[in-house]
Amino acid sequence: MEYLGEWLGVAYAGRFLVALAFVSALVATGAFWKGNLHLGRRAYLTHAGSTLGVIALIFVLFFGHRYEFQYIWKHLNNDMPMRFVLSAFWGGQEGGFLLWMFWHNVLALFILRRADDWQREVMTVLSSIQAFLGVMLLGIYFGDFQLGLDPFLLLREAPNNIGLPWTARADYLTAIPQFADGQGLNPLLQNYWMTIHPPTLFLGFAACSVPFAYAVGALWRRDLTSWIKPVLPWAFFAVGILGAGILMGGAWAYEALSFGGFWAWDPVENSSLVPWMVLVAAAHLLLINRNRRQPTALFSTVYLSILSFLLVLYSTFLTKSGVLGDTSVHSFVDSGILPQLLAYLLAFVAMGHLMLLEDVGSRKVYGGLAMATLGLVAAGQPALGFLTFLGVMAAAAVRAFRKEFKGGQDEDALWSREFWMFVGSLLLVLGAVHITWQTSVPVFNLFLEPFAPLLTWAEGATGLAFLGDLAQHDLAPGTDLERTYHVVQVPLAVLIFLLIGLAQWLKYKNSDIKTVLVKLVRPLLAAAVLTGTLVVTYNFATHEIPRVALLFATLFAAFSNADYIVQMWKGKLDQMGSPLAHVGFALTLFGAVLSTAQKDIISQNRIGDITTLNEELSNATDLLMMQGDTLPMGPYFVSYQERRQEGIHVMFDMAYYDRAPMAYKAGDIVVQEGMVWQALTDHHASATFDEDVETQWNFLPFPTPAQTGRATRWVNGTAGDELFALSPRIQLNAQMGNAPEPDTKHFLFEDLYTHIKWGRVTPPETDEEGWLGGQAQEFVVGDSMFVGGVLLTVDSLRVIRDDERAERGLLDDDLALAACLGLRRGPVDEVHDPLYIVRGNTVVPDLYEAEGWGLKFRVESFDPEQETFEMTVWEHESVRRDFVVMQAVLFPQINWLWLGCILMTLGSFLAVRFRVRQRKSTLRRHG
Amino acid sequence: MKRTHIVLLLLVAGLMGTFVASITSTSRSVGFAVAFADPGTEYKVSGTLVTDMPIEYDPQHNTSLTKFHMQDREGVVHEVWLEKAKPTGLERSESIDLYGQANGTHFRATEMLMKCPSKYNEQNHLVEADA
Repeated sequence: MEYLGEWLGVAYAGRFLVALAFVSALVATGAFWKGNLHLGRRAYLTHAGSTLGVIALIFVLFFGHRYEFQYIWKHLNNDMPMRFVLSAFWGGQEGGFLLWMFWHNVLALFILRRADDWQREVMTVLSSIQAFLGVMLLGIYFGDFQLGLDPFLLLREAPNNIGLPWTARADYLTAIPQFADGQGLNPLLQNYWMTIHPPTLFLGFAACSVPFAYAVGALWRRDLTSWIKPVLPWAFFAVGILGAGILMGGAWAYEALSFGGFWAWDPVENSSLVPWMVLVAAAHLLLINRNRRQPTALFSTVYLSILSFLLVLYSTFLTKSGVLGDTSVHSFVDSGILPQLLAYLLAFVAMGHLMLLEDVGSRKVYGGLAMATLGLVAAGQPALGFLTFLGVMAAAAVRAFRKEFKGGQDEDALWSREFWMFVGSLLLVLGAVHITWQTSVPVFNLFLEPFAPLLTWAEGATGLAFLGDLAQHDLAPGTDLERTYHVVQVPLAVLIFLLIGLAQWLKYKNSDIKTVLVKLVRPLLAAAVLTGTLVVTYNFATHEIPRVALLFATLFAAFSNADYIVQMWKGKLDQMGSPLAHVGFALTLFGAVLSTAQKDIISQNRIGDITTLNEELSNATDLLMMQGDTLPMGPYFVSYQERRQEGIHVMFDMAYYDRAPMAYKAGDIVVQEGMVWQALTDHHASATFDEDVETQWNFLPFPTPAQTGRATRWVNGTAGDELFALSPRIQLNAQMGNAPEPDTKHFLFEDLYTHIKWGRVTPPETDEEGWLGGQAQEFVVGDSMFVGGVLLTVDSLRVIRDDERAERGLLDDDLALAACLGLRRGPVDEVHDPLYIVRGNTVVPDLYEAEGWGLKFRVESFDPEQETFEMTVWEHESVRRDFVVMQAVLFPQINWLWLGCILMTLGSFLAVRFRVRQRKSTLRRHG
Repeated sequence: MKRTHIVLLLLVAGLMGTFVASITSTSRSVGFAVAFADPGTEYKVSGTLVTDMPIEYDPQHNTSLTKFHMQDREGVVHEVWLEKAKPTGLERSESIDLYGQANGTHFRATEMLMKCPSKYNEQNHLVEADA
C-alpha cells in the first residue's frame, strides 16, 4: 500500500545519511588507526558531511511541520513559535546525540586543519567516539532488542502504533485530524535558556573528548610528555565552556524555573559539575608539566584527562538511563537504549584503562578478563558482572601505575607554584569523588543487591548493624541534601580558595616565601576587613563559621588575584587569563554562598490572626493574597492586582509599593494587643507602638460599640509610592501539568525573587445561579475558616426552643439543632444559624442563605458524641475574591555570582588564546 | 618519604573520613511501619500517591499545609501532612519520597521529592484514532 502525502524521500535520505555517518566514522577510525591519514580524513569529512545532512533534514522536517515523523510530532506543534525550533531540535535524545556529534565534528575539523602531529591518534579516538554515537541513531531492531533511536521514524512505524487500525489507511495523514498538529515541545522547554544552555553544555562535553583523545594517543605512542603542549588550549577551552554551560543551567533554574535557587545538588547538576572539577584538576596538572623540564605526576595527569571524559559518559548514562529514579527532579525515563548507553560507557572505560598498560600482552590479559566479567552479565548476574569489570579496570590502573609510572620523579620545592597547584588539584578530585559517591547512591543499591544474603549473614556473624542496612540495598542520600554536601565540600572549598590566593604569587620551581608573604598581606587584610563587615552586617550565627570561613577564603582569592592583575599588568592581556578566571571563580562562589546563606523569605503569612486560629500552621513561608488587598511584605507593600492570560502564561500582576510610615489623625481609634486606643494628635507612626504610646495615644478603658466598630489594627506602615510591578506566572502545560515560573526584580545588590505557589488559572466553576463551592466539611465549636472574604467562626450549637418553631417553619415533633455561626467582614459582625432538622427518622435538608453575605449553608449531619457536625458551605461569585499564594525571597549580593561567571569564562578564553599563541610561537621556533 | 607522598597520605586519610561521613549521613528509606513504630524520629519514606483519596489544600486556611494519602512500598497507607504549599504536579507524580516523622495518626513531612513523568521523554501515545 502506498501512503498518501508522506515525505518518504526525506525518511529514506535521512536513514541513508545516518547509516553513512556511522559507516564513515568506522572507516575513519580504522584508517586513522592504521595510519592512513589520507583515507581517514576523507572518511571523516564524509562523516561530518552526512551528520550535517541529517541535522539539515530534521530542520527541513521541522519547518515543513511534517507530523508523520515521530520526532517532529513529539517536539513541535502549530502553535509553537519557530524561534524555539532549536530547543525543539534538541528536546529529544536523538537531537541531543546529534548536537553532541555536531560539536565533535566542529572540534575535529579544527584538529584536521592544523598540521598537528597528533592527528592520527586523536582522530582515531574521536572517530571511534563518533561511531558509538552514530549507533545511537540507527534505530535497528533485532527482534525485541532496539539498537539506537531513529530520528526519521514515521509515527505509523513506531512500535506502539504498529497494527493500529489507522495505520491501514493510505490517507491517514489527511483523514485523521490528530496528524494535523503535533504534541508540541513541552512548554517548560520553550524559553531562551533552552536555546543556549544545551548547546553550550554539549560543546563542553564534546570538548572533554579532546583531552581524552590526546591522553589515549599519548599512551598509545608511549610518549607522555609531548602531548601536553598541544592539549593545553583544548583543556582550558573545555574548562571554560563546560563551566559556562553548568552556570547557565544554574541561571536557567534561577530565572525561569521555580526551584527557589540556582543550585540544588541535584544529581543531574552534580553529574555535569564532577567532570568539570576533574577536568580543572587535569588542566592544572598539564600546566605543571608544561612548566617543568622533568615531568611529574604523569600518571595523574593522564588519568585525570581520561577520567573527565569517562565522567561525562557516566553522567550521560546516569541522566538518560532512569537509574537515578526518585533522587532527581530532572527525571529522564529509560528510552530503551540503556544497554547501548552502558556499552558505550564500558567500551571507553576499557579503552582508557587498558591503554594505561604498556605491553600489549597485559592489555590482552586485562581486556580478556574484562570481557569475561561481561559474560557474568550475559549469565544474568549484571551487578556482579559490572562490579568485577570495574575491579579489573582498577587492577589494570594500579598495575600500570606500579609498573610504568613509578619513580624517576624529582621532588618539587615546597614553595613552588607547581607543588601547591598539585595539592589544589588533588583537593578538587577529592571533592569530585565525594559528589560522585553521593550521586551514585542509587547505583550502589544495584550493586549491593546480589550481596544482600552475604551481608545479612555478615551482620549476624559480626553484629554490625550497618551491614544489615547495606543488605537492604535501599540506601538513600541524606535527608538534608545541603548538609550532606556542605559538610565535605565547604572545608575543601576553603582550602582550595586559600591555595588559589597563594599559588598565583608563587613562581614555578621555587620562590622566596618571604617576598610572597609580603605580597599576601594586602589581600589578607582586605579579605579580613570585608569578611568582618559582612559578619556584622548580616549577623552570621556561630554555627555558620564554616560559611564565614568560605566567604573569607573566596574574598582572599579574589583580592589576591585582582592584586596580581594590577601589579603585573603590562598592557598585555596574555598572562592575565589565569588570575582573571580565578577572580571570577572566587566571586562566583562568594556570590553563591552569601546569597544562599542570607536569603530572606519575606513572604511570611501575616494575614489577620490566622496563626492563632490553627495550630497546624508551622513554617508558613507563603503569603496568601486576596485580589485588591495591599499587604506588608519585607521592605515593601505588595498588592495583587489582576490575573490575566498571555499566550500560554497566566500572569498574576503584583504591584510593589514603598513602605511609608502610617499617618494617624487625632481621634483615630486603633486596637493594639486587645486594647482600644484613641489618637491624641496627628502623627506618623513609629516602628513600634511602644514608642508612640506615651505621647500619641489615649487608652479607652470602656470603648463604646461605635468606637470599637471603627477601630482598626495598629500598623506602623502603609503603602507609599508604587515602585515597580512583577508578574510571576503559571505556565499552562497540558503535557506536564501547569508549572509556576518566577518573576524577579533585579537590583544592583539584591534580587527580589517571587513565584506563585498556588493560584487559579481559570475562574472556579459555579452553578447557574452563581454559587460555587459545595463541599461538605467537618466542624467543631471554635473552628474558623475564611470563605468569600468572610471570617466564619463556629460560636456554639444550641437546641431550638419551642417558641422559635413557628418562625423557623418547624413542626411540633421536629428535633432541631442550630449551628450558630459568627460571620465577620471588616467591621460588620453578624450571627447566622443554619438548622439541622430531624423529622421522625429522617433528616430534612435545610438550605440557609445568609442574606447580604453571599453565603449559603446546609448542615448535613451531627455527631452528638463527638459534638462535631458536617456542613456544606457555598459562596456566591459576587462576593468571591480571587486569591493566590505567593513566595518572595530576597537574595542579597547575588550579582557577584553572575559577574564571577562572566569573568571566569573571559579568563578561560584569555588562557586558551595565550596557550594557542605560545604554541604557535614554539612551532615557529622549531619549524 | 617524599613530601608528595605525605600530601597523598593526608588526602587518602581525608578521603576515608569523607566516606565515613557520607555513610553516616546516608539515610535509609523505610516503610511507614518503621516510622510509626518510632514517632518523632526523622525518616525517609517512599511510596505512591493514593489517587482515590482527596488531596486537601486550603490556602485560605493554611498556605503551608497539604494533606494527602500515600501508600508506601509495603502497601501501608497513611495520611501525610506536608508542611508546604501543594506542589505542582502532585496528582501526576509517579512516586514520592517523604522526609519527616510520624506524628499520631499521620506522617508529618517537612520535605518531599516527587518523580513526575519526564519533561524530556514525554510518554506521548497517540490515542487510537477512529478508523
